[in-house]
This record gives sequence, structure tokens and C-alpha cells, in this order.
Amino acid sequence: MSWLTGFLKSSVGRKFVMAITGLFLCFFLVVHLSGNLLLYVGADAYNHYAHQLHSNEELLMIAEVLLFGAFALHIYMAFSTTIENISARKKSYRVVESKRDDRALPLTSAADQTMMITGLIGLFFLLVHISDFKLENGWEEALAGQSQAQKASIIVSDFTRIIIYVLGSVALGIHVSHGLGSACQTIGFNHPKYTPTVHLISKIFGVIVAVGFSSFSVVSQFFPDVLNFAETASKSL
Amino acid sequence: MSDSDHNMTLTLRVWRQDNSEARGKFVDYKVNRISPHMSFLEMLDVLNEQLIAQGEEPVAFDHDCREGICGACGVMINGQAHGPDKETTTCQLHMRRFQDGQKVVVEPWRANAFPVVKDLVVDRTSFDRIMGAGGYVSVNTGQAQDGNCLPVARQDQESSLDAAVCIGCGACVASCKNASAMLFTSAKVSHLAQLPQGDPERPQRVLDMVAQMDAEGFGGCSNTYECEAACPAGVSVEHIARLNREYVKASFCSSAQPTIQASAD
Ligand code: SF4
Ligand code: FES
Repeated sequence: MSWLTGFLKSSVGRKFVMAITGLFLCFFLVVHLSGNLLLYVGADAYNHYAHQLHSNEELLMIAEVLLFGAFALHIYMAFSTTIENISARKKSYRVVESKRDDRALPLTSAADQTMMITGLIGLFFLLVHISDFKLENGWEEALAGQSQAQKASIIVSDFTRIIIYVLGSVALGIHVSHGLGSACQTIGFNHPKYTPTVHLISKIFGVIVAVGFSSFSVVSQFFPDVLNFAETASKSL
Repeated sequence: MSDSDHNMTLTLRVWRQDNSEARGKFVDYKVNRISPHMSFLEMLDVLNEQLIAQGEEPVAFDHDCREGICGACGVMINGQAHGPDKETTTCQLHMRRFQDGQKVVVEPWRANAFPVVKDLVVDRTSFDRIMGAGGYVSVNTGQAQDGNCLPVARQDQESSLDAAVCIGCGACVASCKNASAMLFTSAKVSHLAQLPQGDPERPQRVLDMVAQMDAEGFGGCSNTYECEAACPAGVSVEHIARLNREYVKASFCSSAQPTIQASAD
């Protein structure tokens, strides 16, 4: 098995793991967002979806283990490669200027230059999100006896959560806008015919993630009626 | 070049370092009587004549062909590898690209794997060692006429040549935020992977060259594509994707094992 450890230790192999786990997590984001969007369809649709999801304990377990594994690998690889990448240049330049024509943003703020920081903000958002929705940490009273849709609506409209969820969603959107295209390149998926499309899709995906996931908090703030399910919830109880 | 053409003055901020152990520092020089038709290296020659006349040590910089093919001359000019022009080496960069009176910062390539030897000269033997790890064919390819007996599809020839144009200058490493040598290594791997002469050693080559690249202490690729923009030979990051494919294929689908031990860190 030394070939496998050799592969996993090499720079190319580690990036490959990073790309595969990243692609899997992107797929998860799509599924997750599709589920969330049911909130706009109505409380019943969302509650039904949540119920279906939780009635399938085994499948949910497998999905959670896979997700946790992917996150752990992705984050581990991110740290190990970033540390190495930074230390590959001990003495830095006095002046750095990009030569890419397509750099619209200053070098220090572009998506590909800020993967670590957007990833960390995304991770913080994820941890808060799991604590809120899965563990209901600190929400025990507010959420007692509520339907799933109403729980979601209560959490996303909380003031601190609005800040964290919007910031987290935007950071995640920026992260995947580079990440998706980058992962395709890393697994060797590059061809003059479709690479421009891949990069375009990557950017659109970033916008969808940022807008999609942050929309719930924003809508709860500006159009409180849309996500207020107190009525329907009490009816269905 | 008439004398009246020598009408530019620049303020250079040049990295000076006596040897690889010395700390080094930036020193400002005013260079007068620069012609816009001069190349950047000729401008440095003018500076050096000036320094020699003043009894000072001239600035050491690497150069050889001065026609854009040897890859020796790369320096960082105002934060850009080989200066502001696309697909242009420092020796082919002309002073007309600069404004009279402009400040120009000149730094050597910065990467642990490219230690500074003196002033603007860096040691790029790490590239030679990557080449030595597999960037060649050891099969007998015969005499010149035998070349015509091996059919190679036109598009493969072209694509292979697109990679073979790499002149080993190191601008890809210099411009990469991770000091990664992926564009260079991928150009060398991709060049031979697409030709029948390179086929017998194909998996071994990519495994060993990547292992050597890692052992030299270059960073990894994070697909920021600054290398492609800085490359004077126009080598595309498509070759990096091909290296990735070659590497995964060699690791999982061939019996080859790398013969080079990556260093522990
Ligand atoms: S790939 Fe381009 S930038 Fe890198 S060493 Fe070769 S010629 Fe220079
Ligand atoms: S001196 Fe040979 S490429 Fe510039």
C-alpha cells in the first residue's frame, strides 16, 4: 500500500483528495439548498421534506458520516497544503502585481487568494448552523413544540443569526466560486471545449450559494410574512 | 540609436545581496541616458557601467541568449515576473514600456527552492533535478530519418510542442503565490506524455518528477493561474490538468512506484 500513502503524501495527491471532497461538498450544498428552498413553497412542503429525511434514520446516518468524513479530509488537506504553500516562500516580494488580464479584483481580495479565510468563515457558519438546527443549542425554549418550518423561520430571523448566516453564506459562495472550477482542474477535467463553461458555472454556482442560503435571513427581515409559519403550524399541530 | 534617443531617466530600486548567506537590501540608483529602444538588460548594463565608473560593485543578473530562448534572465519588475509584457522575457522587454522618471523595483525570484546566489541571480538547479528525475527519454529513438517512421498525429505534435516551448525560466514559480513549480513540471511531463517516444516511461516519469518537485520544497498548485499569465513561453495550465491526470493514472493504474523519496516535511 506504499503507493497509496505515497499518493496521499504528494502535493498532487493531496490536492486530488481536496478536489474530490470539495466536489462532494458542492453536491451536498445543491441538495441542501434545494431542500431549504421548500420553505418558500410552504410550511407543509418543508415539514414533509424534513419528516421524510428524518424517518430514514439509516440513510441519514450514512449521509452524515460521509459528510463528516469529507469535511474532515477537506479541512485537514486545506491546512496541511496551506502551511506548506506559505512556507515555500520564506522571503516575500516588496511589490506583487498580477499579470492576469481577467483579474477584476485587487490581488488580495480575489476568491482564489482568499480560500482559507472564506473557508474558515464558512466553517464557523457551519458549526453555528449545526448547533442551531441539529442540537438546538440555546433554542430549547423558543423552539419547543414548533414545526420544523417554524423552527427554521425562528432561527434565521434571530438578529445574531442574520449576521452569521448572511456572512457565512456569502463567504461560502465566494469559496465555491473558485473551488468548483479549481476542483475540476485538479482532477484533470480541463479541455478548451468545456473549461470556459466550467468556470462560468463555478461563478454562477457561487452566486446561487451566496444568495440562496442568505436569502432566508434577508427575507425574514424584509418580508416577515413570507416565512412566518406560526399560523399554519398551529393548524397542522 | 542616435544620441538624442537616450532621453530617459529611471529610478531603480534593486535588490543587492553579496552572497547566499548575506541579508541583502534594496538600493536606489538613478540611471540616466536610457534609450527607449534598449532592452531591460541593456538598461541594467548602463547601470553597471555607471557603477563600475564609480568604483562600485556592478549588479549581478543572469542572462545568456538575450533573445528570449534560454530562460536565464528572469527578474521581478515592479512585482511582475519578466515585467509588464505578456509572453516576453526580461531580455526582450523594452524600455519604451516605461515612463521617463518612473520608479522601478527589481527583485530576484523568491522561492525557497530558488535561493539567491547574488543580487538578482538565483540558483535554479532544483529545476535541473526535476528534469533529472525523468524529464527525458532513455529509449533508443534512432537516427533522424527514423523520426519520420513514427506516426504522430498532427494535433498531438502541436499540443506536445505547446508544452515543449517551456524555457525553464522559473517565472511560473516566481509569480505563484505558493511558489509552485507545477507549470514547469507539467510542461515537461505533458511534452513527453503525448509522444510515442515518451510512452514507455510515462507513468514512471510523472511519479518521479512530482516526487522530486515535492522534495525540492516548491509549494502546491491552488489554481490561481498567475503562472500562465507570467509565462514568457505561453505554456497553458491545461498541461497542469494533464499532469494531474497522468499522476492519478500512474498511481492507480500502473505498476510503477516512485523511485525518489519525497523529503519528510
Ligand atoms: S512554464 Fe513558462 S514560466 Fe514556467 S519555467 Fe517554463 S517557460 Fe518559464
Ligand atoms: S537572456 Fe536568454 S531568455 Fe533572456
